[in-house]
Amino acid sequence: MIRCCSTARGKVREDYYQALGVTVNSTPQEIKEAYRKLQKQHHPDIAGYKGHDYTLLLNEAYKVLMSSSRNANANASGRGFGSGFTGNGYSSWNGPVRSQALFVDENKCIGCRECVHHARETFAMDDVLGSAHVEVQFGDLEQQIQVAVDSCPVNCIHWVGSQELAVLEFLARPQQKEAHGVFGGGWERPRDVFAAARNFTRRLERQEQQEMAPEQRYNDDAREEAETVAQAEGRRRAGQELRWRRLLDVLNGLRDRRKPGADR
Amino acid sequence: MTEQVYTVASDSETTGEEKSQLSFPDVAIGIDIGTSNCSVAVWTGHQVELLKNTRNQKGMRSYVMFKDDTLSAGVTGGATREHGHEERDILSGSAIFNMKRLIGRMDTDEVVQASKNLPFLVQTLGIGVRPFIAALVNNMWRSTTPEEVLAIFLLELKALVEMHLKHPVRNAVLTIPVAFSRFQQTRIERACAMAGLNVLRLMPEPTAIALLYAQQQQQLLHDNMGSGIEKIALIFNMGAGYCDAAVTATAGGVSQIRALSGSTIGGEDILQNVMHYLLPDFDSRYAGQTMDRIKSIGLLRMATQDAIHKLATHDHAEISVDLRGDYKVSKILGRGEFEKVNQSIFEKCEGIIKQCLADAKLAPEDINDVILVGGCSRIPKIRSVVLGLCKKDDSYGGVDPLEAAVSGAALEGAIASGVTDPSGSLDLLTIQATPMNLGIRADGGNFATIIPTNTAVPARRDMLFTTTRDNQTEALIAVYEGQGKQAEDNHLLGYFKITGIPAAAKGTVEINVCMDIDAANVLRVFAGVVKPQGQAVPPFIEVRMPTLDDGHGWCGQALAKMYGSTLDLASLPKKLHP
Repeated sequence: MIRCCSTARGKVREDYYQALGVTVNSTPQEIKEAYRKLQKQHHPDIAGYKGHDYTLLLNEAYKVLMSSSRNANANASGRGFGSGFTGNGYSSWNGPVRSQALFVDENKCIGCRECVHHARETFAMDDVLGSAHVEVQFGDLEQQIQVAVDSCPVNCIHWVGSQELAVLEFLARPQQKEAHGVFGGGWERPRDVFAAARNFTRRLERQEQQEMAPEQRYNDDAREEAETVAQAEGRRRAGQELRWRRLLDVLNGLRDRRKPGADR
Repeated sequence: MTEQVYTVASDSETTGEEKSQLSFPDVAIGIDIGTSNCSVAVWTGHQVELLKNTRNQKGMRSYVMFKDDTLSAGVTGGATREHGHEERDILSGSAIFNMKRLIGRMDTDEVVQASKNLPFLVQTLGIGVRPFIAALVNNMWRSTTPEEVLAIFLLELKALVEMHLKHPVRNAVLTIPVAFSRFQQTRIERACAMAGLNVLRLMPEPTAIALLYAQQQQQLLHDNMGSGIEKIALIFNMGAGYCDAAVTATAGGVSQIRALSGSTIGGEDILQNVMHYLLPDFDSRYAGQTMDRIKSIGLLRMATQDAIHKLATHDHAEISVDLRGDYKVSKILGRGEFEKVNQSIFEKCEGIIKQCLADAKLAPEDINDVILVGGCSRIPKIRSVVLGLCKKDDSYGGVDPLEAAVSGAALEGAIASGVTDPSGSLDLLTIQATPMNLGIRADGGNFATIIPTNTAVPARRDMLFTTTRDNQTEALIAVYEGQGKQAEDNHLLGYFKITGIPAAAKGTVEINVCMDIDAANVLRVFAGVVKPQGQAVPPFIEVRMPTLDDGHGWCGQALAKMYGSTLDLASLPKKLHP
């Protein structure tokens, strides 16, 4: 495919953070400073035409990260619960979003590479973690994907509702454990990711209710990219609706999931 | 000095030459062609210098005088000839001016219609072709074009610069209004090419001022007077022909353009309004140019201009002019009266600023500085409107209202030419934004935006489209620019066809349309079939826009008449990117 059309494809958030050289926890101020510093090195006005492609990536990364940093502010509140969860999954989509998506329970995965063998566009092996994960949803033909699902010796590839995919993929990544002083820190991932996802969604929703009153505080946090009262109101409403809907969808999704699960 | 020791005597002459060339590398000059005044500036190695003409003017009147077989532009002002041009001569019908308002416009455009009562000939047929323009030479109309007039002017300007710098000049950075369409930009490029100038950048006027502002903020930081935190400035520029506003966020010498907006209103409209107010039967009186009417319009224009200038500092201005043909205008124009006559213009200015603030998602309280530039920024009402909207008591005082744009252009010229300055005063950058939506016609007559307004440049966006009929093998990509919801409300830039689409049911083929704008503001459109994949699909097409030369209104209609909806596309819902 022509290179021009591929910049927006298959880019994940990590690429954006990497492009700007910032971390997930960077403030909008830090993102801005990094963006300006890099622009001054790579902008075509300074670096000539060879800076074109890199500047494109910078502009895109800046736009995505600045617009999401406002939402991230609201997420990274309280006890740090759910920090880093953006509501976006890690896998990308080939073709339009469908109601069902693939998910690998990486705790059960034994790293046999069968699925990667049968559907190489869809699945990818993480050699560090020793388990496979979904890289691109519906990256291969459906028959190939079905063969890959059936070939799994431990049956750890699941069809899940698209709505709950983001939570599942977020929780499947190793999370930082809450440390008590110097003890008990480190990384872990939940033993039963599906139960954890139910739990997570419930907590997210409870937190949302608590947040409704002190909304004003986050507005102050978000002053970096100032917004009007009407915009804040609109955003708050949209956010609420999104989260409520996600809860409902997860409930529906769970019901749906049982059926294909029982078939298998 | 130490180098001199090693120089062989016979080589000294050539090294001397090389040295002078090294100190004068091919730095692009900055040119601000205004509707009424024009100026040129160069980076001299440590600062920007505005060049003066033989009459010792920095701002030169923009016009070209046609006299017998000789042409002379406003740069020299005819000073090399027998006698210099007076304002009276410019308004005699022998000179063409206001070319910036006429260039690249069709005769259905209301700006062209309003130009009909200028002293020279602007003839329109109202069918969407370029207007016929002519200057009076020996009591005869001699035809010309706005591009030609501009080229003659630029040629004289280039000669002036070369005389000052004592070496040939090739590259230039020009400032243009925000409201200029891409087609108008190609006309400016054409005029520059005719004058032997290569256009390095065409930068919207307020962004040139933003660059100058960034340099000044950086300078303050070096002098330990600035704080180094991000500063937000609103730039309002209103000249004779156009009015622009921009919001820029500046820190560390980088000026990020957050929003741009502009419109075709300016001092010329104010002048026309006042003239119509003074002579209510202006249009019927001056319909059809005769020799005495041309003279009479010229006299009224001069008197009105003087009055408007006087009203900037006085409460009243007296207008007394004998228009010949037993008609006389004598009136005392008060400032309140003047403001009432031009109320609609001030309201439009307000609209532009509000739009700009809303696009930048900023409240008036967030603005640190308000920069007012352009000839019309002297009008007290304009100042109070802009400052009132931004809730400021006074405007930023660091820039000269008439020299800011050209200084910024010269800075950009030096930066884009690759000049560096050891003291760091060229350690600057402007991150431009797109002034208008860019997209294609899809879903019936709708306009599908691919690159929206105020996207940071360089920009690249793509969108997926699909066929609207079963077994559709050809699709038309019609590229438009503008803010309208319907494709026809916007400006057609060009079109091309994708052929050889694999036959399939409607809605199954995926066609990717990608738009790319580089730092020099060149727009390229890439299009092709991305699904199904394989050997059976045609290769991608890359088209540099605009491709259309003339008759923009016609082409869209002709295409619709010829093909109807047989080549239509429909937009596909956006894919979810992680």
